[in-house]
Amino acid sequence: MKRIMSVALGLSLALFTSTVSFAAETKIGVVVKIGGIPWFNAMEAGIKEQSAKLGVNGFMVGPTSADPALQVRAIEDLIAQKVDFIGVVPNDSKVLEPVLMKAQAAGIKVITHESPKQAGADWDFELASAKGFGEAHGKLLAEKMGGKGSYAVFVGSLTVPLHNAWADAAIAYIKANYPNMKLVGDRYGVAEDLDKSRSTALDLMSANPDLAGFMAFGSQGPIGAGRAVEERRKDGKVFVVGPFSPGQGAKLIKSGALTGGFMWNPKQAGEVFVTLADRIAKGQAPKAGETIDGLGTITPEGNTIIVDQLLKIDKESIDKLVSMGL
Amino acid sequence: MKTFVQKFNATFGADMGGPVIAFIAVMLIFGLAADNFLSFGTFGSVAFQLPELGLLTLAMLLPLLTGGINLSITFTANLSGLAAAWVLQAHGGADAPLSAFVFACVAALVTGAAAGALTGAAIAYTRAHPILVTLSMMIFLRGLGEFLTRGGDVSGFPAYVAPIGHGSFLGLPIPLLIFLVCVAVWHVLLTRSKLGFGLLMIGSNMDAADYSGLNTRKIVVLVYTLSGIMCAVAGIIMLARFNSVRVGHGESYLLITVLAAFLGGVNPFGGFGRVLPVFVALVVLQLLSSGLNLMGANQHLATALWGVLMIVVMAARTLASHYRIFTRKKA
Repeated sequence: MKRIMSVALGLSLALFTSTVSFAAETKIGVVVKIGGIPWFNAMEAGIKEQSAKLGVNGFMVGPTSADPALQVRAIEDLIAQKVDFIGVVPNDSKVLEPVLMKAQAAGIKVITHESPKQAGADWDFELASAKGFGEAHGKLLAEKMGGKGSYAVFVGSLTVPLHNAWADAAIAYIKANYPNMKLVGDRYGVAEDLDKSRSTALDLMSANPDLAGFMAFGSQGPIGAGRAVEERRKDGKVFVVGPFSPGQGAKLIKSGALTGGFMWNPKQAGEVFVTLADRIAKGQAPKAGETIDGLGTITPEGNTIIVDQLLKIDKESIDKLVSMGL
Repeated sequence: MKTFVQKFNATFGADMGGPVIAFIAVMLIFGLAADNFLSFGTFGSVAFQLPELGLLTLAMLLPLLTGGINLSITFTANLSGLAAAWVLQAHGGADAPLSAFVFACVAALVTGAAAGALTGAAIAYTRAHPILVTLSMMIFLRGLGEFLTRGGDVSGFPAYVAPIGHGSFLGLPIPLLIFLVCVAVWHVLLTRSKLGFGLLMIGSNMDAADYSGLNTRKIVVLVYTLSGIMCAVAGIIMLARFNSVRVGHGESYLLITVLAAFLGGVNPFGGFGRVLPVFVALVVLQLLSSGLNLMGANQHLATALWGVLMIVVMAARTLASHYRIFTRKKA
């Protein structure tokens, strides 16, 4: 019994010394949607690197499933831990409202990402505006098509607000700047389904011989359309643009069936969490016209900072993106 | 040592041993390892997080004691929450008067009770295994909820609802107080009522209970109805805590409630188990998860450690019962 006690005591002492606390450092806890997926692994790398650079204690908390209830619990624990900043990428903005307000009441500053106008947040930052993101894709497609011919638009579903906002911006941009380009049909809500995207693209190519471009917003749309183009051996004649997971689309990008697209960089988002927190901790609240690392020159609207820090996915950048595990 | 064990068993019951030892171990290890663990903040955090999981565990407990299981608890809770949310919406949303909220709570409780009664009747009259029946019920309720809400969430509640999830009364979190009341009710129900006695008998041996003249069907229906009502209470707390209702809220709690009940010494085959050890087990699980968060450990590690804790406690329990038999033989 005595021996067990002494072992237990020794073990706990060892644990104690290994977790010496950093009392004076700014403590930043970032709660993300779910832990262990490539997107948030990249974000964690960003948080860690930037924290080391700025000499603060930044860390990420990744719940085991995308259940908003788990995010509430993680935030409650961060409040108990008396962190200085809480960063959140919300699964559900409404669920987090009360607990974020509780954090603010405890004197903790809250920074959110991908959740504009979040109640309970001191600051929110977005690395892509709906308009900028849509227009970037519209411009890319128009340039590839040489400003003429017809094109079709896929979205994840007609009820996904973000996808449709992107599509609106892209179509408006093309209409205004490239009047010779023609939109085929209405937009098709197939872009979260690989097979549906592929078959819709095949049908559209058969029905419209002058079709020269696809723009797809939704995780599987660009891949599906790219496969259709590859099957018909139309690469170089029909162009496919849209945001997609680099790892999944690497092969199609290299063969030329998939032209490219834009995304924002989760690693950069992780860095911005830490940079913003560090600045606010030093009493430099973000102001219009300032240039911040990772965000560029900012013009906050209320407490929301929206910038267009887009990352191009194309033949040149694909290997680097894939090696980041994205 | 031996007299201490006997004394402990006499005062708290033998099934309290596992959870209490785990409790002391967790307090000691985290108290020493994380300098900010033994603070008011930590216990505040634990006290606010405990109730939603705790209420669902209570809802799981009664069916487990009858040798069954209720897999539909989280969806029953959310559907009850939805019923309450709709009543509030129908009476003006954020401006709904207090009377509307009372009515909303009644609607939630009735929804929970109805879902529970339906499950109970299906189990009692078809004699199908509770896993099958409640699994079907879970899929049905989930589908129904998703159909009615189109997978979205319902929100916009009056300001006085929020304190039920986040407020304090006399320094104690209101959700914790509600949870403690429910624990007390369940304790009295199991130890002092005819229904409590009957459901434990059913858990021990359904046929023997039947032949002894117990109306087993009625008891099974009642047990699942009560489980549904407890789900509704959890649903109301979740509505207030999450400021919205969605079918998927708290989905991840389902299996943890089973874990908490078994950790609290409930016999997996039914018939034996008490409320208080389960309560202590819940506190231990929450302390473990909050403590690991406090130390900045990975969340996936916390899940793994819950599993390890479970295995260790079960092994310890087996060893203890062997030890008991061994000493008895000697004497």
